[in-house]
Amino acid sequence: MTTANSDLSDVMQPVARAKGLPNAHYIDPAAFDEERKSVLFANWSGVGFAKDVPNEGDAMPVDFLGVPLLILRDHDGAVRVYQNTCRHRGMILVDEPRNIRGTIRCPYHSWCYGLDGQLRSTPHVGGPGQNIHEDIKRNELGLFEMRSHVWLGVVFVNVSAAAPDFDVVHADLIARWSEFDKPLYHSGADSSFKLDVACNWKLAVENYCESYHLPWVHPGLNSYSRLEDHYNIEENGRYSGQGTLVYRQLEGEDGKVFPDFEGVSDKWDTGAEYITVFPNVLLGVHRDHTFAIVLEPKEQGKTQEHVEIFYATEAAIGDGFSATRAKNTAQWEEVFKEDIFVVEGMQRGRLGPLFDGGKFSPAMDGATHVFHEWVAQSLSAGRQIAAE
Amino acid sequence: MNTLDEALLAAHLAGDNETLVGLYRAAGEAVLARDEVQGCFYLTHAYVFALEAGMAEAEELRAVLVARGREA
Repeated sequence: MTTANSDLSDVMQPVARAKGLPNAHYIDPAAFDEERKSVLFANWSGVGFAKDVPNEGDAMPVDFLGVPLLILRDHDGAVRVYQNTCRHRGMILVDEPRNIRGTIRCPYHSWCYGLDGQLRSTPHVGGPGQNIHEDIKRNELGLFEMRSHVWLGVVFVNVSAAAPDFDVVHADLIARWSEFDKPLYHSGADSSFKLDVACNWKLAVENYCESYHLPWVHPGLNSYSRLEDHYNIEENGRYSGQGTLVYRQLEGEDGKVFPDFEGVSDKWDTGAEYITVFPNVLLGVHRDHTFAIVLEPKEQGKTQEHVEIFYATEAAIGDGFSATRAKNTAQWEEVFKEDIFVVEGMQRGRLGPLFDGGKFSPAMDGATHVFHEWVAQSLSAGRQIAAE
Repeated sequence: MNTLDEALLAAHLAGDNETLVGLYRAAGEAVLARDEVQGCFYLTHAYVFALEAGMAEAEELRAVLVARGREA
């Protein structure tokens, strides 16, 4: 099986006539490789969370689809992402999360880099005790810095370096959710979990985007959040997802609810939205908390979901809310686990060679179609570049 | 194995930069006058470990090496 000739024309039809992406894009390693480059590297993908490097000098190595990255908090408090590779012999610089007190010292020959990526020292490079050489130009040998951007607690990276700026690509979404673009508070392990799912990463996006499945897969949610209380979010070429009109705040045993985001408008009293930042970040916003799921594609049929829950105020991450936070985390974990059998089932279903991408409901599957069309456009752009 | 070697090995194993800086600096300064290469070799190690640990001493060590045309 090869994806070189996979036909994407049906995917790009209007939803009423479109089909989903061909099976190869879920089960074929060649398609996975094509998406790695044309979809995940060519766009702004989520690779981690800013809360994992809270202090100056904190460094967190991340493997993103085989690319070694280093997420780091610099002296100015900004999050930077470097390629975690020494410019000398290509050695991995940092193997475990740790704090860099001064410089990053390569464990091989001890070339040292500042938190700003500048090459600071090249010991013995000109012979014993001689640390300079006319051909070693330090100002040309700093760490390779990746284009990165932090939004709603997620660290996004554009590996290809060719995409427009993040805040240009996602201007509409940033404006839509400006009420949540504020400091976020994370309480640590009690608001963090990972799920390993045996499916292609896109199936997790597709399932997240639509509310059609809610009454069947999440009957617990449907007891108060009926299908008719949801709306589709379909922004062609940009983002998609779903919203609810009946969000109900979680109450602790004492009846206390989490504090709201400061100045949040009435729209969000009972409203909440769940949107995918294409390609691989699933976000949810509510008056009192947000969550982010970074989908880490492992291989064509394996994905790890990194789930982090953030709160609106410092008080919400204090001891006074620990039981309520645990309840909130458990509630979301239950919902996301309820989805596993469907995303894994869709993965197995695509091993059937007669499946043709599937027939969308024009009324209910628009958000999924928006995602498929966006993926197809990214793939087409990648093929065009390859052909030139 | 002499005492200096043992102390250096122990500090390397412990990842104890402060001790490494002290030991390498002392070793470097002890031989610098009669053997610049050997002295700067040790001082380079002291400098690198000070730099890694963010120690203020790194600047002093760098200045010594720069004065001998061995560091930028």
